[in-house]
Amino acid sequence: MAADTDARWVPIAVSADIPNGTVVPARLPTRMIAVWRAASGDLYANADRCPHRGMRLSHGFVRGQTLSCIYHGWRFGSDGACQKIPAHPAVEPPNTINCGPLPMTEANGVVWGAAVSPAVAPDQFTGHNALRSLVIAASVDAISSACKGRRVDGTIRAQLGGQNTILLMNDYGSGEVQVIALVPSGISAPNGMKVSTALEVLRRTAEGMGDAA
Amino acid sequence: MLQGELQSPSFLPWVARHSRRLGLTCEILHADARKVVFKVDGQADLIDAFEVGCLLGPFDVWVETITRGPATSDD
Amino acid sequence: MTTAAVRNAWYPVGLLSGLSLDGKSSLLLGEEITVFGSRDGVPEVESGGRALPVVQRFGHLWTSLGYPGKDLFTIPEADHPDRTLVDVGVVRVKCSPLRAVENFLDIAHFPFVHTDILGAESHPEVRDYKVEIRDEVDEVWATKVEFYQPQAAKSAGGGITTEYMYRVPAPTCCVLYKTCPPRPGEWDVIALFVQPLTEDLCDVWPWMALFDEDSTLTELIHFQQLIFVQDRSILENQIPKRLPLDPAMETPTRADLTSVAYRRWLKRQSYTYGAQLVAE
Repeated sequence: MAADTDARWVPIAVSADIPNGTVVPARLPTRMIAVWRAASGDLYANADRCPHRGMRLSHGFVRGQTLSCIYHGWRFGSDGACQKIPAHPAVEPPNTINCGPLPMTEANGVVWGAAVSPAVAPDQFTGHNALRSLVIAASVDAISSACKGRRVDGTIRAQLGGQNTILLMNDYGSGEVQVIALVPSGISAPNGMKVSTALEVLRRTAEGMGDAA
Repeated sequence: MLQGELQSPSFLPWVARHSRRLGLTCEILHADARKVVFKVDGQADLIDAFEVGCLLGPFDVWVETITRGPATSDD
Repeated sequence: MTTAAVRNAWYPVGLLSGLSLDGKSSLLLGEEITVFGSRDGVPEVESGGRALPVVQRFGHLWTSLGYPGKDLFTIPEADHPDRTLVDVGVVRVKCSPLRAVENFLDIAHFPFVHTDILGAESHPEVRDYKVEIRDEVDEVWATKVEFYQPQAAKSAGGGITTEYMYRVPAPTCCVLYKTCPPRPGEWDVIALFVQPLTEDLCDVWPWMALFDEDSTLTELIHFQQLIFVQDRSILENQIPKRLPLDPAMETPTRADLTSVAYRRWLKRQSYTYGAQLVAE
């Protein structure tokens, strides 16, 4: 059972899905978060909740090195501290008004988040790159079964679309699992498409197994 | 100075936490079930925000009035 | 959480022009109701075999699950014969009915949610305005609210500084009075009547009484619907879902005074349907 103080890395997104200047929602086991990439390319994460009146920050917008809430435009820096309150332009917001920055790292196209900063970096999966992320409404066991995969250290290794793929799992705990699929680095785009198609088949199969149970 | 039904045990810690979030210093000069007097220091707009937050307070507290004035030496 | 204040209030349940003789089922405060049009012009609302009290006003049918202690509020400005009355039509929103009202009372979001229509990022400042709970009528009022707007109304030619007044005459209703470009000195009236289906789901019935001789009814409706759809994406994504009556997890500022007055007013009369009592 994941606890909020759980200091472990969770795979939450694919780097390519978060271009410069964008923000997306993501999930850790105990909370919703907003992940955003500044103009510089640096990636940050915060609680998905504006400290003003609770609007989800993942609906906001990124400008330069800041994230702004869509509701009233409150602006936050990469340290989570509020920098501007547009309705009161003369105010210098104290950094105690904060949207709660969270530990974040990315490697080989996989974005990892944590509630509390873990002591060691996540597995780099050298020689592989993240292809895509998808959410499957089935258990990890059903997914593993559906692709006839091997469970290795919390991942699933399977042959999909003719490639040795590694499936990383982020179990939402509500009957849904986010799967981030990694493929060997440097495969061609058409081969990548084959893996992607195989993943869609995997999703349908795993979800179908849930219905039959 | 806040007046109302303020006897909930949660009120003073609530006020302390809220003033900290707004980056204000807050000193409690007097507190009883009907009246609390604070000395608050910080940016004027953020003291406004503190007042606005205190108008609500925790659910079991009712703040009737808030009177504000410059700090006097005899209080 | 249906206290007396909650049960005994008046709520909108349909458009007078949209009632059906066969009856249409709906929900009010989590209870099933059926709304009937009538051949003799007197609509009925029924719940659990009981006939509920009804009032026809502002183009809508109103009812109550309890025994209202006072008459439904009036909007005298709307009675002027030159007014265009607009039934905008219902919008269902997955949010607390109280959040729908509070959002309507907020102006600091105009430059960001209704960009280049009701507000511009170049003019985001909210200056001080006056808020009071008028005890003699038991309503929340905000006056002397001013805001720069690029396109304040369908009838506005360009950017103007608009003056607003906000009024909450009932727990799930709010009325906005705004400067009327074609008739200086008069107010355009825009109201939101909210039907609480459950604590997390509501039907919003917008209604307007405007001085606008140039726009068609369709244009007026589309303008208001566009604004409301922009608000809906906010309303369905606020945390927590219910309206907090303890702002410990929030940071209200002076610009939020109307919303705080609304929450104080709800707290005072123990109107807790759709509200979050403990901060989370």
